[in-house]
Amino acid sequence: MVLTLLLLVPALTGVVLLAVARSDRAESPGATQAVALTGSLVALLLTVVAITARPTVDVRWVPTLGVRWHLAVDGISVPLLLLTAALTVVVVVHSRGREPARDVLGERSAATFYACILLVETGALATFLARDGIVFFVAFEVVLVPMWVLIGRFGDEHLSEQTRADASGRFVLFTVLGSTLMLLGILLVTTRTGTSDLVALAAAHGAGLDRGTQVAAAVLLVVGLGIKIPLWPAHSWLPPAHTVAPTAGSVLLAAVLLKMGTYGIVRLVIPVVPDGFAAVCPYLAVVGAVATVWGGLACLVERDLKRLVAYSSVAHMGFVALGLASGTWTGLQAALFGNIAHGVVSALLFLVVGGLKERWGSADLEVARTALRDVSPRLGWSLVVGFAAALGLPGLIGFWGELLALYAAWSPAGDRPTGVFRAAVVVSLLGLGLAAAYALRVLRLVWVGGSSERWVTTLPQTGQARDASGREWAVVLLLVAATVAGGVLPRPLMATTADDARATVGQAGVSGRSGGGGR
Amino acid sequence: MTTFDWWLLLPVLAPVLGAVVVLVVDIAVPHVILGHYVVAGISLAIASAGAVLTLRPPVGDGRATLCLPGSGAQARTCFYSVTGVGAGLQLAALLAAAVTLLLAAPLEPRGERDRTPVTVALLLAATAGAVGVVGARDLGSWLVTLELATLPVIALAALPGTRRALAGAVQLLTTSLVSFAVLVLAAACWYAATGTPRLTAAAVLGVTGAPQKGLLALAVVLVLGGIGFKLSLVPFHAWTPTTYAGAPLPVAVFLAGVSKIAALGALLVVVSALSSLGKAALVATAVVAVASMTLGNLVALRQDDVVRLLAWSTVAQAGWVVVPLVSVSALGVRASASYLLTYVVSTLAAFSVVAVVVRVSSGRSGRSLTSYDGLVRRHPLLGGVLALALTTLAGLPPGVMGVVAKVVALRPVIAEGWWVIAVVAALNAVLGVAVYLRWFRVLVARPTDAQAQAPVTAVPLHRVAVLLTGGLLVALSVQPQLLLGLLG
Repeated sequence: MVLTLLLLVPALTGVVLLAVARSDRAESPGATQAVALTGSLVALLLTVVAITARPTVDVRWVPTLGVRWHLAVDGISVPLLLLTAALTVVVVVHSRGREPARDVLGERSAATFYACILLVETGALATFLARDGIVFFVAFEVVLVPMWVLIGRFGDEHLSEQTRADASGRFVLFTVLGSTLMLLGILLVTTRTGTSDLVALAAAHGAGLDRGTQVAAAVLLVVGLGIKIPLWPAHSWLPPAHTVAPTAGSVLLAAVLLKMGTYGIVRLVIPVVPDGFAAVCPYLAVVGAVATVWGGLACLVERDLKRLVAYSSVAHMGFVALGLASGTWTGLQAALFGNIAHGVVSALLFLVVGGLKERWGSADLEVARTALRDVSPRLGWSLVVGFAAALGLPGLIGFWGELLALYAAWSPAGDRPTGVFRAAVVVSLLGLGLAAAYALRVLRLVWVGGSSERWVTTLPQTGQARDASGREWAVVLLLVAATVAGGVLPRPLMATTADDARATVGQAGVSGRSGGGGR
Repeated sequence: MTTFDWWLLLPVLAPVLGAVVVLVVDIAVPHVILGHYVVAGISLAIASAGAVLTLRPPVGDGRATLCLPGSGAQARTCFYSVTGVGAGLQLAALLAAAVTLLLAAPLEPRGERDRTPVTVALLLAATAGAVGVVGARDLGSWLVTLELATLPVIALAALPGTRRALAGAVQLLTTSLVSFAVLVLAAACWYAATGTPRLTAAAVLGVTGAPQKGLLALAVVLVLGGIGFKLSLVPFHAWTPTTYAGAPLPVAVFLAGVSKIAALGALLVVVSALSSLGKAALVATAVVAVASMTLGNLVALRQDDVVRLLAWSTVAQAGWVVVPLVSVSALGVRASASYLLTYVVSTLAAFSVVAVVVRVSSGRSGRSLTSYDGLVRRHPLLGGVLALALTTLAGLPPGVMGVVAKVVALRPVIAEGWWVIAVVAALNAVLGVAVYLRWFRVLVARPTDAQAQAPVTAVPLHRVAVLLTGGLLVALSVQPQLLLGLLG
């Protein structure tokens, strides 16, 4: 009941807002925001209730297909649910007074904007709650249309209509391709086993599926989900989407939507088709390693700050993929931790960078600007923390996921080719180095000040470069605190996922227990 | 003694009687426009009641009537038999006919040039054909009812007498004649192979010799070709855009709704009788399905006229409708019917909105994509229903029914291990999204000032059509079982 309510609250709030957005009476933006905030806060509250009570819903939905409305909470989904619900509140609070496209589309568009945010939340929460393959697929698709509207309609006003349409269209088409391939994989598993219940499938650990079927299903699922994550080379939709999306959209895209891909691998692939996943793993590890380097290299030369953060996401997701591929309990823990870490850090970075873009009018790094530490020390320091976490500095949340992923991949599960994995680790170390390089590059250009050609520290202030204050500063500070807390105290988060991660790897990872025991 | 269950035949007989009554009333009391609609409405309602009666459990292997006396279930020969899937298709056809009637209502008095009785009678006759073919179990009535579902539509398409309408009607006529010829040839092959005019599994079981089996396979491929014309499958699709665009809008609606149900119903009668399609027919089905999806979507991507866009979308969706038939089983048959009904409901909803917009905007401009700029803003109901219809066709939430339909359609393909088709279908799902989002994007765009000032108003009849189809879409998206359960 709580779980269904948890999905209904944001969904209905979104629908109500849409209805308001369409009515002809004048609307006050304050009331709109208040409705959205109430909806997101209630959803957060229900999430907390759901996390503590851990209820289950399991009723018939489409009996003809054997699909059940099966929702449940476990250790793996808890951090993601919390992240989703909390970040929705963050972006709703943050967006007040800066709803995009208001000048162009008029006052009433604010309601549509908030409605899209809440509908994205609904889809993400449903994805993390779903325990039925087909329900998972439907939930996976729910986020598409609202996110498409966020990017295409509320995207960067400085860009042309065509650019925005291209970016949003590319986002939708890539993701639909991914999810349809995923659907083929789900259908393959469900037609061969006769059930789409993920709990039953996970308990069976691939029993009743021959190796060929497992490999085919794993390939389809990993490729499909890999597009969503996104894994190199299917990442090309992400940078344009981030460049165009409004700050709220970027935050949700990076922190929530990308997690649905990795979560899908943990939920649909690793426990369901363990042998198939083992066969795919070496490729996944290589792809992950390449992604870390590719993303890092792209960041070294990228001029647009938002695009740069998007490429750094690609690199971070590479580490997560490496952790997943290792097949051990440690690797899975690393991936789950890295997932959350990336969610927090990318949310922080996109909030700060979005704020900077708003002040500067563009996010071009080649434009010489006054040093950030001089004009806006708060934003400046937040940016420093964000990029420090992104480069994996110990003591910040980004460190644990990447370190453990590399550690786990160095000694993967028994049935994985150790040589390939060690090579992948070596390549990823290079990626780690690149991360430090690009993080320092950005900080030198933006925080210390000066363009890459000229070191200018005393430029006349361009526009009104105000520092963060009020709501903006509050949400940024919250994320900075989370970044530090996760780095200093990784144990609570690790402990939350520990048991269920062990069950997920189960028989799949033989050396899982010995690998993870050390921690 | 021959059995005769009148209530089982009610869905076929009521529209026929309705058509006769309309013509008689027109002779007795000319120029009573409303009366014809009342008669048509009543006959469709009675027919629907009959279909619902047929659907009541237990349906089992179906209900049969017009059975010749015989000993034992095997030997019994029935000329009319409706399964759960069949009754579902009949109900959908009647509903589609009702929506077509709502959209066809003459809104301005046309005096001497009024053609209401003819239109209504032709619509009812074609509907009777569509409903009848679902239950036909012998070659004769199968061919006759299938043509009854087609020929009146040609007359309807030609009625306006304009150059465009005639061009469309002539193309439809030519296509129908070719299709009929192919189907007659198929019927001849079937008769030669099985030695009986009956379209039943028992007839197929009797085929033993190699030449007979070859003839039967040929018959099946020919049926696929002949029905392919009516379902707008590539390469038999060429008439679709011309006819849709040239004919009056309600006729396009009829072609997209009732005619498609008739065609699939006829195909399923044959498929249900077979235990295996045979390699040639399977490959033909697969190739035709994949080609339809791909070509339909690619061409639809470039259309700026919404009726043409919907016509090409029909071609693409027809591919999705036949793709489950690569699995010759109850699963495949149900999947195919489920997908068709989803398509019909969402297309009817889209057409209802188009009808309103076309009426409001002067001339043909209502058919261009730009007339839909910011429709969700200008008229929330119309914009909302159209948005839901488009997402259902694209297979994206909030059109959950469309998502479930894609799942249903792909399931038999995966179960049979047709990997190439599955992957091509996945790519086509992406293309389809591109097609419908192109229109969706227009809906949420900012209306031009001139458009924002001109109000969009729907006449009550159109409003009923929009509400009916839109409400159905919402209900199905919340609970897809309503549709899937209907088909057993």
